[in-house]
Amino acid sequence: MDLARQAQDGDESAFAEIVRRYSPRVFSVASRFFRQRSLVEEAAQEVFLKAFTQLGSFEGRGSIEGWLTRIATNTCLNMIRGAKRRPELTVSDLTDDEAQWLDHVDGREQPSVENIVVATDLADRVLSVLSPEDQQALLMIDGEEASIREVAEATGWSESKVKVRAFRARKKVREAMEKLLNRGDK
Amino acid sequence: MKDKHIIDVLDNTSIASLSENELSEVQAHARECVSCREAYEAARLIGVVLQSRAQTKIEPSPFFQTRVMAAWREEQAVDSVPAMLRLWRSARAVVSSMAVTTAALAALTFMLPAQTTPVMDQRASMLSAESVIMGSDDQMTYEQVLSTIYEDDDEAR
Repeated sequence: MDLARQAQDGDESAFAEIVRRYSPRVFSVASRFFRQRSLVEEAAQEVFLKAFTQLGSFEGRGSIEGWLTRIATNTCLNMIRGAKRRPELTVSDLTDDEAQWLDHVDGREQPSVENIVVATDLADRVLSVLSPEDQQALLMIDGEEASIREVAEATGWSESKVKVRAFRARKKVREAMEKLLNRGDK
Repeated sequence: MKDKHIIDVLDNTSIASLSENELSEVQAHARECVSCREAYEAARLIGVVLQSRAQTKIEPSPFFQTRVMAAWREEQAVDSVPAMLRLWRSARAVVSSMAVTTAALAALTFMLPAQTTPVMDQRASMLSAESVIMGSDDQMTYEQVLSTIYEDDDEAR
């Protein structure tokens, strides 16, 4: 809270300290939405500049980290909205590596770096059938094992809204994945 | 759960968050039910790819803080200039060119001698349609017009 107040009073070093201390957290949030470093950095910078202008609205009831997480989530959602989404996942969207990965993945053994890259690409393809908000909910809950409450705090949504989003997203990506798995049968 | 379809369970929660008992029940059902087996396999793979995706984090570069502070100072500098001055700076070129144009138009209006506009020939409005057709400036009577028009016919007769 002291840092926030000092920064609000125009103390440059306090603001610099906020940036230094919380940029890993803000980058972590932005990484959920973007995989390109330039986009993550752009989003993170916008988050801190926005945070500075909104310091007056930070009442100190929660942590600065939680407050910044919410700003980061909303900023990234705004950035990603309007971006062209793939309407439907098709077999032709899969690369050879992804198709091979799907055929052989076990999930129990420790994945290699190459496999993580392939799986991450595949995750982005599957997630692209969802709205940015649903992507966010699913990635946090099923990917990062965050609780419903944590997602609600990070996004500002109610817990029931988070549950609905997660349910809907899970169903949609499962159906998309089933289509991919059945690609050889059709 | 063995006889109950598990699709709702799979959509309600991630496989990773199922307890051991729940997981073995889900797997037992999936072994015997084809549609649920496909759903289970898809949900399992989704869990794997999402966890891989969640591991992909980009760390801030060492220069990030410097970059943000530079952007912040730039914003501060912009904010310190009065709004009217900023407005004037951005609109200066347009306002100047408009002022020059207005001055030039005013000079042309007041300084050049006024030109007389040609007065419409009053007589023109008095001409009848028939006289215009006949190409004559003089007013013609109705009989004259008729006789001029039907002159050829009379000759023919």
